[in-house]
Amino acid sequence: MSRLGRVGAETSAGWRSFVRRRTAVFFTFFFPVILIVIFGALVRTDPAGGGLFTEPPAYYVPGYLAVVVLFTPLSRMGSEVARHREGSRFEKLATTPLTRAEWLLAQTAVNAAIIGLASLLILGLVILLTGANIAFSPLLVPYVLVGVVCFCGVGAMLGSYTDSQDGAVAASNGIGLPLLFLSETFVSPELLPGWFGPLVNLSPLTYFARGVRAATYSGAETAAVAGVDPALANLGILAVLAVLAFALGARSIPQTD
Amino acid sequence: MEAVVDATDLEKTYGETVALSGASLSVAQGEVFALIGPNGAGKTTLVRSLTGTTEPDGGTAAILGSSPAAVDRDRLGVLPQEFSPPARLSARELLAYYAGLYDDPRDPDDVLADVGLVDAGDTWYENLSGGQQRRVCVGSALVNDPDLLFLDEPTTGIDPAGRRTVWRLIEDLADAGTTVVLTTHDMAEAEHLADRVGLLADGSLVAQGPPEDLVLEYGGSSRLTVETAADPAAFDDLEYPVERPERGRDRAPEAAVVVREIDPAAIGSVVDYLEARDVEYTGLSWAEPDLEDVYLALAEPTERERTRRLEGGGESGDAVADDSDLAQAGETA
Repeated sequence: MSRLGRVGAETSAGWRSFVRRRTAVFFTFFFPVILIVIFGALVRTDPAGGGLFTEPPAYYVPGYLAVVVLFTPLSRMGSEVARHREGSRFEKLATTPLTRAEWLLAQTAVNAAIIGLASLLILGLVILLTGANIAFSPLLVPYVLVGVVCFCGVGAMLGSYTDSQDGAVAASNGIGLPLLFLSETFVSPELLPGWFGPLVNLSPLTYFARGVRAATYSGAETAAVAGVDPALANLGILAVLAVLAFALGARSIPQTD
Repeated sequence: MEAVVDATDLEKTYGETVALSGASLSVAQGEVFALIGPNGAGKTTLVRSLTGTTEPDGGTAAILGSSPAAVDRDRLGVLPQEFSPPARLSARELLAYYAGLYDDPRDPDDVLADVGLVDAGDTWYENLSGGQQRRVCVGSALVNDPDLLFLDEPTTGIDPAGRRTVWRLIEDLADAGTTVVLTTHDMAEAEHLADRVGLLADGSLVAQGPPEDLVLEYGGSSRLTVETAADPAAFDDLEYPVERPERGRDRAPEAAVVVREIDPAAIGSVVDYLEARDVEYTGLSWAEPDLEDVYLALAEPTERERTRRLEGGGESGDAVADDSDLAQAGETA
């Protein structure tokens, strides 16, 4: 069986396992939807005089997408790794030809499919509920894919270094929530203290948000990086971080006890 | 014949707990080798050391001519002890999933038939009974038609009929040349299946060999168990050795006297003896020694020693049982 075949078998099993957990499927899609409904309603209030949600609706598209691109891989991968460890599944897989990187690639493919569908739903709802004026750039596809790869790697690390499913979910929430709001998604940089700026640059989600905004929002004031178009440059940075996170995530997956 | 499994002086500790302390074994091609021993004796750690899923602290191990970490995994089948595959895949889907990880897998439906689950093939794993689940897990170790198969407690939770199905399967595999290393707490299983048995106690293989040899060497003599509350002194004039089993330490009922080294043809003379002295008894049973006697003779003293150490009675928290203890056990047996 080729590498592709092994990844295919793992992907197929992972996909079936996911779609048969109805509660997980429901909340995977419900979470971003409820967030858009709440934030969309807030945006429509169009508050004056600064504060949150004063930008045009299209500004927040990266934030809405980040909800699934960030949270779904973190929580799913974290709990999946913990579940595999608790059921001695890694012990079993370590004695098969499937490598850790192949396993993570398969799980990433499952996440990419789920998040791709959720992203379409989000874009539709954002337009419908907030009236956002979005440019449909083809770069949205690689941004979502590369973002998923990146955060699947981080999620795998969380699952590997926590000692239970509960711990993995708590850790993913603990890391995901600050990242979601402090990565130029819902909160613009001007609203944060100056000293916080360098920390924002450490978050991979920042490059996702800047790039997606540059690609989809005509009013974006995203700066070019070393003279390169920000939509492409941020994708490049995110891709480098994704490769690093994927490699570290694959390496962290337990192969021995 | 070249050894398919070859381990020498394997050592492994987890913190202060000694899991393996110089375990050595060799298994030839086509052989069924059963590891028996108390909980915590190191069986699973030994299997993990041999399958490459744990790294021993010392010693050497080779399987199929390679180090466990470098072995051709298409030739290896493993059933971990507490294995729990994805719960919402059917039995057939699970076997197809694991088959999909190998170069030249068997037809999952054939494996399903081998483990006796054709009728349950479309049932989700979580809806199968415990025994059926374990049989699916056994099947997952067979999908690649391995040359070397490790089964860590393969029949735990399986009913007697299902157990026989697994036994027949293992026998057929061994007949076809597959080397099988299994761990079990079921002495009948070890005695039935194994060409050789290794008794692991406190991290070391304290005895290994064909079951019948072990029984001869350590199993002691035949025994006639007389269920009676009478004082053993009432048996003083009997021409056979007599003992009152220690409470909870032997296979006899609580109120019993065991007559040793007695031929079944001589049971009548014991009955005559009891009746002549008005000794009341409620039952008589005669048994040849078996592997369970070997286990009790060799593992129990070590286990008692370990318990004593854990309770703080020992001088060293991680010391293993000494030779004299085991030698004494053998002599007692």
